[in-house]
Amino acid sequence: MGKKYNVKDYYCKHTTRCSTEGRKKSKRFVGHNVLKADAWDKVTGDAVYPDDISFDDMLHIKVKRAVHPHAVLKNIDISKALKVSGVVDIITAEDIPEVRQYGLIVRDQPVLVGVGEKMRYLGDALAVVVAESKEAAKKARDLIKVKVEELEVITDPFRAMEDDAPSIHPDGNILITHHLDKGDVEKGFANSDIIVENKYQTQFIDQLPMQNESGAAFYDERKGVVNIWASTQWLHDIQADVAQSLRLAKNQVRIIQPTIGGAFGKKEDVSVHIHLAIAAIRTGRPVKFTYTREESMITQSKRHPITIYAKTGVSKDGYLQAWETKFIGDTGAYASSGPAVVHKGMYHCTGPYNCENVRGVSHAVYTNNTFCGAMRGFGTTQAAFAYESQIDIIAHKLGMDPAEFRKQNIYEIGSTTPNGQQLNHSVNARETIESAVELSGWKGGNSK
Amino acid sequence: MKISLTVNGQLREVEITPYTRLLDLLREDLGLTGTKEGCGKGECGACTVIMDGELVASCLVPAPQADGSEVLTIEGLGSRDNLHPIQESFVETGAVQCGFCIPGMILASKKLLDENPHPAEEEIRLGLSGNICRCTGYAKIIDAVMMAAEKMDGRESDQDG
Amino acid sequence: MKQENNQPISGTDFKNYFQPSSLKEALEIRDKYRSEVKLVAGATDIFVQYNEKLHEVENWLDISRIEDLKKIEKKEKSIFIGPLVTHLEIIKSDLINKHFSALSAAALEVGSPQIRSRGTIGGNICTSSPAGDLLPPLLAYEAKFHLSSRKKSRIVESDEFFTGPKKNILKDSELLTGIEIPISDAEVYSFWKKIGRRKALVISTLTLNLVLEFENDLIKRAGLAVGSAAPVPVRLKKIEEKMLGKKLSQLDYKKIAEEVKNRISPIDDLRGTKEYREDVAADIMVNALEKIEKERVSG
Repeated sequence: MGKKYNVKDYYCKHTTRCSTEGRKKSKRFVGHNVLKADAWDKVTGDAVYPDDISFDDMLHIKVKRAVHPHAVLKNIDISKALKVSGVVDIITAEDIPEVRQYGLIVRDQPVLVGVGEKMRYLGDALAVVVAESKEAAKKARDLIKVKVEELEVITDPFRAMEDDAPSIHPDGNILITHHLDKGDVEKGFANSDIIVENKYQTQFIDQLPMQNESGAAFYDERKGVVNIWASTQWLHDIQADVAQSLRLAKNQVRIIQPTIGGAFGKKEDVSVHIHLAIAAIRTGRPVKFTYTREESMITQSKRHPITIYAKTGVSKDGYLQAWETKFIGDTGAYASSGPAVVHKGMYHCTGPYNCENVRGVSHAVYTNNTFCGAMRGFGTTQAAFAYESQIDIIAHKLGMDPAEFRKQNIYEIGSTTPNGQQLNHSVNARETIESAVELSGWKGGNSK
Repeated sequence: MKISLTVNGQLREVEITPYTRLLDLLREDLGLTGTKEGCGKGECGACTVIMDGELVASCLVPAPQADGSEVLTIEGLGSRDNLHPIQESFVETGAVQCGFCIPGMILASKKLLDENPHPAEEEIRLGLSGNICRCTGYAKIIDAVMMAAEKMDGRESDQDG
Repeated sequence: MKQENNQPISGTDFKNYFQPSSLKEALEIRDKYRSEVKLVAGATDIFVQYNEKLHEVENWLDISRIEDLKKIEKKEKSIFIGPLVTHLEIIKSDLINKHFSALSAAALEVGSPQIRSRGTIGGNICTSSPAGDLLPPLLAYEAKFHLSSRKKSRIVESDEFFTGPKKNILKDSELLTGIEIPISDAEVYSFWKKIGRRKALVISTLTLNLVLEFENDLIKRAGLAVGSAAPVPVRLKKIEEKMLGKKLSQLDYKKIAEEVKNRISPIDDLRGTKEYREDVAADIMVNALEKIEKERVSG
């Protein structure tokens, strides 16, 4: 009990990675302020972002989105919309029977929801309107008539996990479950003097990059190549996904990255790309599609709201003994990065603190909310809210200074994480806490 | 309907509709795409331009109201080879990341420095309070405005950019 | 790739865009088209409301070119503010700063520099949002609104103007043509506070405006108005009356604060809960009285 981690000494003896000697500085960049090469274009307005791209003869796209968060599409009537002057094409699922679903990890997203199929959140696309002007496209979009059969809307992952909840996807509402097991938590709790158990809830957050999803596309018929200028964080994954979805070879899809106006994880997913490609191929003309801010908020990924149960055992001298956790992440209507985000959060359930006995389970759960995906931190930010709160609460119960309590349990070289990774270099957690204490002017103490 | 306005010192005649926004007029009709659209509702400041000496959100200006006006966009402030001191400062302080907010930030800075050549930090924050940046956390942007104030000190007044 | 596109960007299926230069002309158009015409001045509200739907508006009446509605004038016992005066012009006006400092303070906290340069006082009034930031000061200063139609003109008290969220007594033949605020000879103190989630570009969670006029240390007139706390911006006359004829030192601040809490009827919404708003209203009421007390001491 109360064992201090001293593997650091071992590593320091046997490796050069924690040398305390001054590091050699790179002469060119490291340690210097480097002017960013793209700054000149950006301060003059010359930088070309996706919506800045224009072609002669270019068409504009607007998408008719789901009218209900969980419903079967019974009928879609585009006859009135087609009559709007300036409308060139309106594409519905029946026009593209060969097109396949897409998705970052699990291909569960339809390009267009067809009659007899389900819309699973308000961002699902029902029809792509292509017109000579944005106004014509908007007008036509608003004239598309849709009939649906409404299903129960599931907005809460706990409801989604109940036996009688309707399945949003064919394989049930639990997208994926992960387990974590390290040491012996029963023993750990038996060795604990204080056990603190709490439930934490985080919320949806939009990454909110300044530039909305946007792109332009042109189909080079002679070469059979569709060129897409669109914002993305994963050029090659998007290329592969667009290609498989459209049943094209990868070399028939060129993704060209213009300047990107922020992303923070939101632009990892396919957004405008496939709709652009289809419209460009069908019309033979250059097309442009830019989401409005509302569309971006409704349609593209969010940070997962995660419900975190944390049970933490600590000895009275202030060493963590056991940590048991459960993560329930609302991944919304589609998987996106959800299978990775939620369990990554769980792997970080103890934060940067040593604990030998850890057990956890995580579920990423489908709901009819906007789908959740990547956002800076990728699940660990949600975890941080829980573990740092636990640490403060425990320090308070122990009557220990929370900074001291943290330092006493902090990762060092040689520590192992809950999923068994041994940290063998660049662990500066202690220094970080010391700096934070100094910079914040923290005076220490805790009232029990 | 047709209007005429002076954009970056040049008189332009443009065919518009009542639902053309000044932002659309600049970006689509005049090809001045340095002015950005982030929200379309005057919340983010990416579409900021200077119209008749005042800072405006060009997404909230009906184009017919711009008839006869004088508009300064980022393209009119300086060019790659001839940067305005504010643009220089944004480059030198590393205030630019994704860059989408930068044209608006720079024009808001210009308006601020035109009126108040030596702003305190609080005054800079107020002057830029209509412009959102999601990348930088603002610290370097404020540094940039401070640096620009220094650079512009003693230079001739710069009323028309 | 990036090239100039000189094509007209959109169709020509709108009907009318009127941009009269005189009030007379504007009233005629208003009279003819009534609810069929959308009024636009600074556009900072209506362009948000009609975002992505601007092309649906068939007739616009743009009053922004009517010079007569842009003035701030001192009359014998009042200041007359044209409805097209912008928030920025209010902030910059020495007259308004001198006589109605809470109005200036409220204008300074509206939106952002980009919004203040365009949004007008008339727009703030006619939009009639319960969260309109200029409205509590106008109520507390007992402003009168001048309304005109082609045939008639009338003057109404500001606290009779607002009838519900985004609703008012303005008829579809009328325009707001002026805001008249009486000047007091007494010793006037005022307090303005806006509560919101951010400092800029935020719709108020709660606003409170207190104006007290003193004569020989006694409260001669009180104006107390609260925004975002009821379906309309409200003037709390019952509480004002309780302060009249008294010295500040005779007032029980806590009790008045409690009374404010009881007399407002806020709702739960995205910007705050009912409970939060009630508690905050009570707290800032105490702040208001304390601040005025302090100012009077320091003279």
